Amino acid sequence: MWLMSENIKGRVYDIQGYSVHDGPGIRTTVFLMGCPLTCLWCHSPESQNYDFQLSWFDMRCIGTVKCGLCINVCPNSALYEREPEKSLIDNSTITKINIDRSKCDNCLACTKVCPANALVPSGYDISLEDVFKRIIKDKKYYGKDGGVTISGGEPMEQFEFTYAIAKRCKESNLTVCVDTTGFAPGENYEKILPYVDLFLFDLKHMDPKRSRNFVGVDNELILENAKLIAKNGGKLQIRIPTIPKLNASMENMMKTADFCKDLGDAVTMIQLLPYHNMGTTKYLRIGLNYKLVNVDPPSDEEMQSYLDLMLSYDLPAQIH
Amino acid sequence: MYKFRSATDRIELMHQLVRDRVIPVDTERVAALTKSHKKNAKVPPIIKTALATYDICSEMTCRVEDFEIIVGNIGKEFLGSGMWPEWDASWLWQELEEMKLWELWDDGLYHRTDPSGVHMSMSREEINSFMSFRDFWKDNTVTSYMDSWAPEGFEEVAGLGILEMGSKMRTPIHTGHLVAGYEKIINTGYHTIRKQAQDWIDAHKGNLMGNDVDKHMFYKSAVIICDAAINMIKHYGQACFDKANLCKDECRKAELMKMGNGLMWISENPARNFWEACQATIMYQILLYQEARHPALAFGRFDQYTWPFLEADLKSGSITMDEAQEIVDAFFLKSNCFYRASNPKIAAYTGVGVTYHHTTIGGVNRDTGEDATNPVTYMILETVGRLKLHDPTISLRINKNTPDKLWDCAIETTRLVGGLPLFQNDEVIIPSLVKELEFELRDARDYGIIGCQEIVGCGNDYPAGNGLHGKAGLGSHGNVLMTALNNGVNPSNGKKGGLQTGYLYDMKTFDDVKSAYKTQFDYLHKWSVTIQNYVENLSTFYAPSAALSISIEGCMESGKDCTVGGAKYNSYGGTATGLATVSDSLAAIKYMVFDKKLCTAKELYDAVMANWNGYEVLQQQVLSLVPHYGNDDPYADELMAWVTDIYYENCCECYSKRSKYYKAGLYGAAQHVVQGSVTIATPDGRNTGQPLADATSPGQGRDKNGPISVFKSICCFDHGRYMDGLALNLRIHPSALSTEEAKISLRDMTKAYFENQGMEVQYNVVSSDTMRAAQKDPKSYKDLVVRIAGYSAYFNELPTTMQNDVISRTEMNSL
Repeated sequence: MWLMSENIKGRVYDIQGYSVHDGPGIRTTVFLMGCPLTCLWCHSPESQNYDFQLSWFDMRCIGTVKCGLCINVCPNSALYEREPEKSLIDNSTITKINIDRSKCDNCLACTKVCPANALVPSGYDISLEDVFKRIIKDKKYYGKDGGVTISGGEPMEQFEFTYAIAKRCKESNLTVCVDTTGFAPGENYEKILPYVDLFLFDLKHMDPKRSRNFVGVDNELILENAKLIAKNGGKLQIRIPTIPKLNASMENMMKTADFCKDLGDAVTMIQLLPYHNMGTTKYLRIGLNYKLVNVDPPSDEEMQSYLDLMLSYDLPAQIH
Repeated sequence: MYKFRSATDRIELMHQLVRDRVIPVDTERVAALTKSHKKNAKVPPIIKTALATYDICSEMTCRVEDFEIIVGNIGKEFLGSGMWPEWDASWLWQELEEMKLWELWDDGLYHRTDPSGVHMSMSREEINSFMSFRDFWKDNTVTSYMDSWAPEGFEEVAGLGILEMGSKMRTPIHTGHLVAGYEKIINTGYHTIRKQAQDWIDAHKGNLMGNDVDKHMFYKSAVIICDAAINMIKHYGQACFDKANLCKDECRKAELMKMGNGLMWISENPARNFWEACQATIMYQILLYQEARHPALAFGRFDQYTWPFLEADLKSGSITMDEAQEIVDAFFLKSNCFYRASNPKIAAYTGVGVTYHHTTIGGVNRDTGEDATNPVTYMILETVGRLKLHDPTISLRINKNTPDKLWDCAIETTRLVGGLPLFQNDEVIIPSLVKELEFELRDARDYGIIGCQEIVGCGNDYPAGNGLHGKAGLGSHGNVLMTALNNGVNPSNGKKGGLQTGYLYDMKTFDDVKSAYKTQFDYLHKWSVTIQNYVENLSTFYAPSAALSISIEGCMESGKDCTVGGAKYNSYGGTATGLATVSDSLAAIKYMVFDKKLCTAKELYDAVMANWNGYEVLQQQVLSLVPHYGNDDPYADELMAWVTDIYYENCCECYSKRSKYYKAGLYGAAQHVVQGSVTIATPDGRNTGQPLADATSPGQGRDKNGPISVFKSICCFDHGRYMDGLALNLRIHPSALSTEEAKISLRDMTKAYFENQGMEVQYNVVSSDTMRAAQKDPKSYKDLVVRIAGYSAYFNELPTTMQNDVISRTEMNSL
């Protein structure tokens, strides 16, 4: 029997209460770190890497005149003062720091001394019990539809932990959603299925080659897993991030619709998620460049045309 | 999803005028009042006040605008305002003498555009006329009586600068926070009320024994005030006829004739239809304002007392729903025309451009306890939503059977109009009124909300919420704490006057810290109530209110004015805002000094006294390490519960000659900003001058775990004890309401909070980005409404300090 220890730990980058966009009703969403995909539009880039990275929150820094502790502790001399600038808060002059990412080895020594939480690790380790305590705290607010969503990154990457959370929550009569890219071993989906009420399942591209270009992996495994979940009685909420120039085309939407049609009753809803570029500041925090600079959000009309298409297939669909 | 419809052209026209208002100030009322007071100089105040009201009502201009279907004005002009020098108008005399803030514009009028108040204007003639009354009122005001003598010890404690009235005894705001008996007025009529008073007088003529002299004077004042009302309303009727005679449009002519006839009827008799009920309510409101500058006369349960009329009209086919909606629109726009010019310094506290006609909707039927939602309930939200009206404040009473459709309509309203409606929980408030204030169940079920947040009986209560007079509570609780930790000297101004409770750095245990705070708080809070009690003694003699007393249950029955205890229910109260600043400060001391020993008490004391200059690292540690209230963390929440407990327990020991109940409240208008501006840095990491936390809300930006954690934190204390009202401000990012499902989630979360004994919540749905953009480009955001704390306002009309305060609150996101 496949077993796990009760004091298993996992790695998360956030736990968010009152989530209303990650599955039905009011939920607490646990965001796990690590993802095998590298979607160009990813709006949580800090979650792609399982290893901790140094995150930088510029607004919080109180400057080297008042503080400067970080520069002194950096063993790699990766932190240095920038030119003085005007504070956006009170117009005073402030000297903040820059991070030389080529020297930084993410040792995180600076995060331990920064009093303002301007330098923080991109995530933290937490035990199953502590995650569960955080989730169960809000139980009275979940109602009959709400509960927990395990998201990421790709939560199936930390399969033992995800499995443990799902099982623990299900046993406490919470509804469980898993928000997945679909890119994980099929057997793991089969294992976790009894403890999952709904998979929030991303379908990003139906074309294998384009899938590779845009998300970094082939789509074959993803599509197989969707079918596997459906076959085994799991429920799927299909989520389609709709990115102009990448996957937002009638052709791709028609293929997606065909595919969803074949999944039958397993599909409870198709959510069309219009692309937004609100995640761009997160790239700066971890010293990366955002790659989709030339893409604008799709128009309402364009979104409506995809919705109409889905509805014409008699599929349950909505723009979210 | 609930969809708002568009309003009629004449409503839109009136809306524009109200939206872009300039308040013309005139002296018509002052002239009539002064003449009357001179004539009746030696007449007892209760009669003198009524006679003055009669004279004012006889001489006032009664206007009918072309676009109006509900008439009534309190100043000479549409949107105009009179002045109320009998209480205190020294600020305006002073301003007009200095003439710094008033500048002459091309229109020939002097304008006051300083953002501390609403935009006002005066002609040269009006200014001259106003100045001519200065000498008479100089030593003749109610406040001058207050200032001329004070109880022993007052000067010392006032010198501390913590009591809200400052160094003088005067309370600049007139009494009159309540729901008047509108229901009685529209269903009884002035003729019957007058007759009741006159019958008593006739029966006791030449036979006044014991208290009868008081009763006789009271009933006489009631007769005079009824005559004032009858007289005034007939003038309005005549004004409609005059307008009709000149009108060329046959349709409008008929409408004006109908209005004239209706006014003539309601001048003496009960209303016969929905329009008359609404118009009679407005007429009564004008009578009240001609009597005094009552600061917060709330309309109570407007949907309940007008629906029987509309229901009958609909049955008889004499009105359509659209016509009724237009009347409701006109009613609330009209109420927006009653801005009473006031001291801008007070306005900064109590609301810039706010009329305080708080209106309560929904809730339960007082007889059956069943949900009482009716079509007028929706009409009021429709008016607020489609006209984006920030005023009056609307409180929606929620019970366990509130229809989903009403929730939907209310959430759609709140998405468009910041902070409105407030959600009030019947399931907590009704039993608490019975338990805490001994209300009969039927009256408890009929409660309304006034002012910012105060809970009152409707038409049967003299609740004196927020003290007998506004601005009479204890001031900055941040300063109370700092005085407690600084041996009785207020470190914000260096003044002595508190009890010598020791210095923080000499306190050996955390219990010593708590004990110092409690001792200082008890002392200062009792003082603030002492002053209210003294002022009540004076003002009930000099400022009785016959106009209120004729409608409030108990007064006509007992022959006693409402200000001296004639009402069926009597209470008063005060409010504490920003207690989270105190509890977070205590948490910081406990955590940093005693539990984790990350710094010494002396270091923390020195840091705060230095406004954290040179101690920035320590300040950041306090901000990031110490648990703060609002995050569902018992470490911080237990201290908030303790701070609120000692406040409540102190209130339970206070009472006055009129009232055995002094109610505790946890809300504020915008005091947290004003009080914060005179409060030194606090141990919670706050800097000198920054706002305190508002109402019961967590400190600005301190709540980091989402709204559910805030709800769970605030339920750490018993809301039912705070019968003067309680407010929780939450700011929600619009993205958290971007889908139908998300709106339902907001409803369900609010329901769950109420099931867990939460009493009130109000939502601002606005992003920081939008508010910053509005600061840069005010013209493009004319309709942006936000709730500061106790009132909602057009964002652009708020002073910058208050704009920044709303921006600094945590933005509840869900992306």
